[in-house]
Amino acid sequence: MFRFPLFIAMTLIIAFGGGIMISLYALDATAGFGAIKLGAWEAFPELQTESADPYAKSHRARAGRLLYGNAEGLMFTAKVDDAGTRLNAGCSYRITGQTPPARIWTLFTADNSGNPASLRTGLPGAMNSWTVLRQPDSSFSIDISAQARPGNWLALPAAGTFQLVLTLFDTPTAGSSGVIDLAMPKLQKTGCGNA
Amino acid sequence: MLRILFAILAGLFGAALLHLVIILSLPHFTGRDAATRVASEGDLDKFYLLGAADDAAGLSNDDPFVRTAVCAFDIEENPVRLTAKGNVPFWSTALYDEASNEVFSMNDRTSVGGALDILIGTPIQLTELRKALPPDLQKTILVESTRSEGYAVLRTLAPQASFDAAARNFLAEAGCDEYAGSSN
Repeated sequence: MFRFPLFIAMTLIIAFGGGIMISLYALDATAGFGAIKLGAWEAFPELQTESADPYAKSHRARAGRLLYGNAEGLMFTAKVDDAGTRLNAGCSYRITGQTPPARIWTLFTADNSGNPASLRTGLPGAMNSWTVLRQPDSSFSIDISAQARPGNWLALPAAGTFQLVLTLFDTPTAGSSGVIDLAMPKLQKTGCGNA
Repeated sequence: MLRILFAILAGLFGAALLHLVIILSLPHFTGRDAATRVASEGDLDKFYLLGAADDAAGLSNDDPFVRTAVCAFDIEENPVRLTAKGNVPFWSTALYDEASNEVFSMNDRTSVGGALDILIGTPIQLTELRKALPPDLQKTILVESTRSEGYAVLRTLAPQASFDAAARNFLAEAGCDEYAGSSN
């Protein structure tokens, strides 16, 4: 005679538990649809607008960040390298190439929630288009590793995974839908450990 | 056996329904979305400078080279005028409504003479103003917003440490004031 309430309890547990879990999972897994992926770099040009999808709106309401407007800039993040492996502070990486046209760009190493990574004071964790050293053809090569390197160098946090944030300010990229042709800089792993 | 299957199916259906309800309603009650955080910075109609680390409201510059100021406003009674000028290499501003949707954004290249001068108001207020545009609004960019509450984000860049003071000055002197009428 207790089987009927048992079924009701089971239904309710599956409904509420499953509904809440899957919602949390969906919001943590992605910032919504409408991402543009260029190699390792990912951006959400419509995340701040009315036309963002419901998942994107929920995600941004939970994150509570001040997003860049259309005319301000476009923020690209890279969580993986070009080969698709997660960026890890135990390895070293190299960014080469050019950014899409922009007046100024900034690049910094960030922790997993997107805030600038905490480094020992004095170590460079950020770079921009004014301070980067360029090749004669205006392309650049930036080394990202725990050990100091000559040329352009960004330091890494002590351990764990990290992400790279590249923001293009005043860029036509933000308003264009044909972003597929844009060339983002390459992000390659150059080695792990002390090698 | 069939009853168990039915219970599981009903549970899954309920979970899907609840998922939709949560996703669609979450933006209205998280209490930590950008609009709420900006509003909890302090008074309305005042630009607040953000720091490198999260402040009490949970806002920060996010980017090491970006300097940000935020202002929450309410245009129910009167329009709000945003002004700023200074010698900075780049500035940009974005206006959002209370649901954190972008209403308008611009940067210094699209401004008149490199200075920030925006008046945001409801369509009715702006129609009234346009009938006889006051002389001090001749060069002002008029922005219509259908929702009365919102916030403005003003950003500038300090690509090198020596630009820091200019950037700070630019933001500190930026105005976010209620526009009650022509000052003439």
